[in-house]
Amino acid sequence: MNYAQHEHHEFVEASTEALADATLQTALVRLTDTLLAGNRRGYAALADSSELRDHAKAIKEHTLSHLDQYLEQLEASVHRLGGKVHWAATAEDARRIVVDIAKKANCKHAVKSKSMTSEEIHLNPALENAGIEVTETDFGEFIIQVAGERPSHLVAPAVHHTRESVARVLSKHLGEDLPDDPKSLAMVGRRVLREKFRRADLGITGANFAVAETGTVVLVTNEGNGRITTTAPRVHVAIMGIEKVIPRFRDLPVFLKLLARAATGQTLSVYTTMITGPRKTGELDGPDEFHLVLLDNGRTNILATPFRESLQCIRCGACLNACPVYRRIGGHAYGGVYSGPIGSILTPLYDSVPLNPHLPHASSLCGACQAACPVKINIPHMLIGLRELQHEYKPSRWEEWAYHLWSWALCQPWLYRWGMWAARLLMRWQAVDGWLSHLPGPGSEWTQVRDFPAPAAKSFRDLWKEMQT
Amino acid sequence: MTPRDTFLQRVKKAVSDGNRAGAAPKLPERCGVGYQGGGPDLLERFRQELANAGGKAYLAADRDGVVRTIQSIVQPLNARRILLSRGGLIDRLGLPNQLNEIGFNARTQNEIGPDAKEDFFAAEVGVTNVHRLIAETGTVVMAAQPDEPRSASLLPPVHIALAERSQILPDLFDLFDLFSPAANQTPSTPPSCLTLITGPSKTGDIELKLVTGVHGPGEVHVIVVGE
Repeated sequence: MNYAQHEHHEFVEASTEALADATLQTALVRLTDTLLAGNRRGYAALADSSELRDHAKAIKEHTLSHLDQYLEQLEASVHRLGGKVHWAATAEDARRIVVDIAKKANCKHAVKSKSMTSEEIHLNPALENAGIEVTETDFGEFIIQVAGERPSHLVAPAVHHTRESVARVLSKHLGEDLPDDPKSLAMVGRRVLREKFRRADLGITGANFAVAETGTVVLVTNEGNGRITTTAPRVHVAIMGIEKVIPRFRDLPVFLKLLARAATGQTLSVYTTMITGPRKTGELDGPDEFHLVLLDNGRTNILATPFRESLQCIRCGACLNACPVYRRIGGHAYGGVYSGPIGSILTPLYDSVPLNPHLPHASSLCGACQAACPVKINIPHMLIGLRELQHEYKPSRWEEWAYHLWSWALCQPWLYRWGMWAARLLMRWQAVDGWLSHLPGPGSEWTQVRDFPAPAAKSFRDLWKEMQT
Repeated sequence: MTPRDTFLQRVKKAVSDGNRAGAAPKLPERCGVGYQGGGPDLLERFRQELANAGGKAYLAADRDGVVRTIQSIVQPLNARRILLSRGGLIDRLGLPNQLNEIGFNARTQNEIGPDAKEDFFAAEVGVTNVHRLIAETGTVVMAAQPDEPRSASLLPPVHIALAERSQILPDLFDLFDLFSPAANQTPSTPPSCLTLITGPSKTGDIELKLVTGVHGPGEVHVIVVGE
């Protein structure tokens, strides 16, 4: 099994379905409006936030251009603390490494804090096959796990659910008749998950950042499940993509100041947990064993290309909330583990450019994603780059022919003028109140979902001529 | 070659292939960018920011003030089992005895021994010292150590933190400066677990409705001792 589960072939069908789902539409508007407003408020409230974002980007640029050195330094730091570092070139390697750690330490009950990296490597089925019980402990992820689904947003994984559907899912799972108000449901979650935490012998987390200089792994959460996952079980395994390393401890607050503001507008998330090695002598809680799994899984392929900038992503979800396409179709339609504008770049690059033909086009290139991004990733630029790459993989004869014809026509001024005149006449004749609701041929795909504006009475060339006289 | 060496070779090659000719940018220095500070009155700023995050700050002049404040927080909850960490203000004020005298079941980990998991899970209120407070964000900073277990500020539904006024830092950047005062200096090793707590545990996973206390404490109270 690879990065995506080949659901990406159905992008058009999946997004059409999403558009027709009234519940999802309400949920998406509510979520993205709230979070995007938070993002703008968050940046506005921070002194020179734009300069701080530039600074954060510069740290990431530097780190990625010295990545091998920082990974070695990170390894040395973690070893010095008594932890162990594992190198996973592929998703399969990572799954095997985590299962081996669990078996060697004789762990039977794993609790997980929300981690996109573990979603990416499809860790849960591998652990379950090895006889280890796995429980997602982020409340949203828990709902998703019980429902047998995938997360649909980076920071709000269960956004596609309503209170009624959550009550249904949890009632069935627990064999109880649960009320459908969010507070009671969350308290049921607390009760059930507390029992899991009490029994757990293995805690699995991702990492928002890892500091090369000190070996510190950083987890940012709002619920506190990340803290319990790294406090109660006797073994802690953190899985991180290699791009998450940052050089120094003093670089960390730069990102912490931006991450929560970009994601939700909070000044800081409720909990920032900085783990530096296993528990020390005399400490009463915290894990005895600390393992850090460094995952490549296609990242070095990106590192070597002009798409390297996409590795600066800190997974805040701000580009999703800002994107007019995500706001309509939600996360599942994208097919991959990462959705939204950044997912449209990562999925083709991690998985396959030719097998994901629609994703680079699932954008109006409006630039709202870049404006919301805490590290100002030039997402539109990279989407255009991917479109170019697609053409190299699979040139379309039809498209080539059409562009040849187009360039030939543009070189014949008389034909161009005549064509424009004819089109304008025809369209203005067909238009009602300045709008066309049916176009023939390929134009019909446009008018299926929205009207097309009729051309103006006079062309630019006509107006120009008038101005000259 | 071991898998590790192959892995690092791949990264090294990708780095040099991807670096534009001679252009590997230097690690930049921040030079004051993004420093907010805490304003003229750090305590007031801390109080406001903590309130924004859903927590509550109190000022207590002395031991009696602290005990009275704790009593006023705990009594309405009908909670009995209080777990205290050791050292710092808690020891200096003799809090365990004080709280036991007024009828609570207050214990430090002295009394619960090294296999403390069940007691941590059963406690109803956790009382801790703090490493620092941050005024800019209303944040309580906890540093794990033998006297200060991670669980005390995490597992009980109510967390009461005790701090001295001098422990308030203006800005998040100031906290990290404590560990690495100069850019080119190796920082002191951070504690095994350094945690920033900004208000009570929150989730919005169902229809974005804010619910507190889903995993961590649903109430966070900070008592600042001083004039």
